[in-house]
Amino acid sequence: MNLDAKIPAGNLADKWDKHRFESKLVNPANKRKYTVLVVGSGLAGGSAAASLAELGYNVTCLCIQDSPRRAHSIAAQGGINAAKNYQNDGDSVSRLFYDTIKGGDFRSREANVYRLAQVSNNIIDQCAAQGIPFAREYGGQLANRSFGGAQVSRTFYARGQTGQQLLLGAYSSLSRQIKLGKVTMIPRREMLDLVVEDGHARGVISRNLVTGEIERHAAHAVVLATGGYGNVFYLSTNAMASNVTAAFRAYKRGACFANPCYVQIHPTCIPVHGDYQSKLTLMSESLRNDGRVWVPKHRGDSRSPEQIPEAERDYYLENKYPSFGNLVPRDVASRNAKIQCDLGKGVGETGLAVYLDFAEAIQRDGQETIMRKYGNLFQMYEKITDRDPITSPMTIYPAVHYTMGGLWVDYNLMSNIPGLFVLGEANFSDHGANRLGASALMQGLADGYFVLPSTIATYLGQCSFDPVTATGEGFAEADDAAKKRLDKLIGLNGKRTVDDFHKELGRLLWDNCGMARNAEGLQRALAKIPELREEFWQNGLVSGTPNEFNQTLEKAGRVADFLEFGELMVRDALDRKESCGCHLREESQTDEHEALRNDAEYSYVSAWQYQGGKSPVLHKEPLSFENVELASRSYK
Amino acid sequence: MRIVRRFCGSSVGKKVIMAVTGMSLAGFVLVHVLGNTAIYFGAESFNSYAAHLHELDPLLKVFEVVLLLLFVVHVSFGVSLFIRNRFARPQRYAVSQSSGGRTLGSVTMFYTGLIILAFIAYHLWSVSFSSRPFMTSIADLIRAHLQSPYVAGLYMVSVSAMALHLSHGLWSLWQSLGGSHPAYDTLLRRGALALAVLVGCVFVSFPILAQVWDGFLR
Amino acid sequence: MSSAITIDLILKIWRQQNIHARGALQTYTLNDISTDMSFLEMLDVLNDQLVLAGYDPVAFDHDCREGICGMCGAVVNGQPHGPETETTLCQLHMRHFKTGDTLVIEPFRARAFKLVKDLVVDRSAFDTIIQAGGYVSVNTGGAQDANSLPVSQKNAEEAMDAAACIGCGACVAACPNAAAMLFVSGKISQFALLPQGHPERRERALNMVKAMDEEGFGNCTNERECEVSCPKGLSIRNIARLNREFLKAAISLP
Repeated sequence: MNLDAKIPAGNLADKWDKHRFESKLVNPANKRKYTVLVVGSGLAGGSAAASLAELGYNVTCLCIQDSPRRAHSIAAQGGINAAKNYQNDGDSVSRLFYDTIKGGDFRSREANVYRLAQVSNNIIDQCAAQGIPFAREYGGQLANRSFGGAQVSRTFYARGQTGQQLLLGAYSSLSRQIKLGKVTMIPRREMLDLVVEDGHARGVISRNLVTGEIERHAAHAVVLATGGYGNVFYLSTNAMASNVTAAFRAYKRGACFANPCYVQIHPTCIPVHGDYQSKLTLMSESLRNDGRVWVPKHRGDSRSPEQIPEAERDYYLENKYPSFGNLVPRDVASRNAKIQCDLGKGVGETGLAVYLDFAEAIQRDGQETIMRKYGNLFQMYEKITDRDPITSPMTIYPAVHYTMGGLWVDYNLMSNIPGLFVLGEANFSDHGANRLGASALMQGLADGYFVLPSTIATYLGQCSFDPVTATGEGFAEADDAAKKRLDKLIGLNGKRTVDDFHKELGRLLWDNCGMARNAEGLQRALAKIPELREEFWQNGLVSGTPNEFNQTLEKAGRVADFLEFGELMVRDALDRKESCGCHLREESQTDEHEALRNDAEYSYVSAWQYQGGKSPVLHKEPLSFENVELASRSYK
Repeated sequence: MRIVRRFCGSSVGKKVIMAVTGMSLAGFVLVHVLGNTAIYFGAESFNSYAAHLHELDPLLKVFEVVLLLLFVVHVSFGVSLFIRNRFARPQRYAVSQSSGGRTLGSVTMFYTGLIILAFIAYHLWSVSFSSRPFMTSIADLIRAHLQSPYVAGLYMVSVSAMALHLSHGLWSLWQSLGGSHPAYDTLLRRGALALAVLVGCVFVSFPILAQVWDGFLR
Repeated sequence: MSSAITIDLILKIWRQQNIHARGALQTYTLNDISTDMSFLEMLDVLNDQLVLAGYDPVAFDHDCREGICGMCGAVVNGQPHGPETETTLCQLHMRHFKTGDTLVIEPFRARAFKLVKDLVVDRSAFDTIIQAGGYVSVNTGGAQDANSLPVSQKNAEEAMDAAACIGCGACVAACPNAAAMLFVSGKISQFALLPQGHPERRERALNMVKAMDEEGFGNCTNERECEVSCPKGLSIRNIARLNREFLKAAISLP
């Protein structure tokens, strides 16, 4: 198969302009003859559905929650980047482009990332016009803050709730189009399959989560904006309903899955505290600006932190990376926390945590200053753990946070199945092997507000105006398959709960396909996952019936897909015998145990194609860099 | 007409009407209680206050009609809001527990309103429209009236209900009219409570005095 | 592994198969609950036990479990989201309860929130209200430079306070009249405080209040239960602002 990224020729800076000029247009009178189906209503899906409807297309939008306002984009805290250079500190589109591509460890496409940087400014304009209450300076101008991985101040924010406010902005635009009758919003639906007819995406099969009814939705084009797959690890900062099913079903229908092993692990999360734990909570990275990370020097030291004298503490980040200290990038901070815990120096009840200590900062700046900066985070921490970070150090541990991998798309955000577009975290396109802070919101909104509304015309322009129907063979077959699968799931009457399998899969992946990986561990996981899957289908337990509101059944379907997807992840990780971005491949390290990227052999996008019962086939899309020099990251 | 219909048909509009009529009625109550303080100064002073009031006669009639209208509007809108509010939650909670917002006054608003309604009917029948014997002064009438322990008890219960009604209403009306500001929010709330208590105390003092003091309205 | 402190609880949970079925409180005993658990994790434990014993688990809505999506919510002993202030159910921890406690857990109750199953209700009435006017009518691409409309820091902060609403419905659940005024006033306030919202403010106020009434919510009687139950601490000053906006619109628009 030929994976053509369809990157326009010409100057990097002119590509997007040129591409829009050369793209087909759909005449306004004809737009209403097309129906676009958007699955997902987060930043990417919500903004795409609203923008397409504004243009005149008929849009149907499905979402899994009870309202489009609840998509997990809402949980993003920090902010959104844009190259506005309002601070006059030397920012530019080129610099945002460079920071993003470097942050991604040179595993993303130049053209996509440059376009992202270009439209970043339009996003801020659009969001401000929607009435999003961004933070302001005294003079009434927009305020900025700095964020990891950049030396300029370019992050726009609305307190610690930027994701919420941006999502509610997209939701409000979507609501307006629903009222105008241009968007048919269908909440509480889960996509169970993609329908492909004559090689083109023609719709989806969904389940009504309230009545259990299986429904068919037909459209001229299908847009997946269904988020990431971080929940494959069971414990992550993702919402409970976040899942891989939509993307994975598309994969099984022929769409290539790109870079599934690229998973970002966030260093500052509240540690796991019990088997019953259902989710991990992120604490803003900004804490590392003033907090000092340490562990006891001696393994198994069970004294309380106050009792450990200064001389017996190991400030391992400061010692190892004197110039960046506690402010090393996410991947380095995460990896080193794991190394310390693996050495038996972890703290807390589980030994899977390190200290983040504010004592020195409080002594230096006073408690008041520290509380002003981090008060809300300290409160959040205390609410969850019942411990006050003022009197004793916080405990933190890394957690799965974001997945850079996703369905493969070309420059138009179309997958290798014509008519199937993929946006936001669900695609793989812009973050390479590591995502910079405050870039997820930027990408989701860029895709939905600005990229897709332009690029979809190229595809729709060549479709016939005939109304689409859901009566074809493809629908019948997918409909039938979905029902059979549900029947099989509901028939599971074994002894282990679905969550139990999910937890075991999560542990397996965390141990073997997490921050640091090696061939041996990956091989072990590759052997174990099919066994676990087999046991799931033999010994799983699902209650209730398929024709009702049945949360156990929903979960079972998602876990069944995770059990297959996990294997694909491990395969991808096995193939990539280099350390890059978020992960360390233990076989590929420098003499000082730092990550060693291998540009000569691995400068490609891994795109996996499903082969039925056989092992998937790996297609490689080479990455070429004409405008940046491949540098290795060093934070010493 | 369209504006009136839009206004009266909406929940917020109805609340504004409740607030405006409530404010006017509360104003009447304040004037009434001020006038009644003449009772403290004996029968003569109270009779002369009543006589002065009646000198305003044509105006007084207009005033009474307006008052009646305000009253009818306040009661009918209040009842319609109450019915709608019951309708909005068809199934009650098994456990009802305030999170700390409600006050005794706010919870009992409708019921104290009903007590006030009944009391006013009785009050008008027994005082304003009573066929008092010729040459009996208003002071004598009130004294005779309040010396009955049953009537005095009825008065005390009713004016307490009114004070309770005012304790929420006097603050609530500002909120309904959109007047809320961090600087004087607490002041308004406390002021409303203080005024309601004061009015209640003055009103309740009359039946008490009538019961315990021989010189009442002599 | 888990914390040493555990408690035993008696749960009385509203069970109702669907809107047409009859519902009732059912009693469960749940032992050895770690006080570090969140309320929803406690329900997870109960559900695991129910599923393993062959019973139907308790249906409850939840998603982000970090207090921002607004999906979770139930009334615990008469209080929406339980006894802690400014806390969603998912952020309520079991250390606030003690062994032997009886917890009565009911769904949010309002005519406008139709019951779906057990503790799950349909809050789409909120979406309908937003669709009536909770937006600035600006098409993608038509925006001016973001800094061309200065907004005073005070107004931006106040707008953010109002915009912090997560649409969970606790205000409706807490209100003795099942009124949605706090929810509606959050959106109205946000746009009344920002210049972007001004061109449509009159129509917005009228249309959103109309939609709210049509959905069957009750009337505000200024009892402040919404404010004290709101997990995001929205103030009823927003309701006063909504009343002002409505008043101005109602008398000025033809």
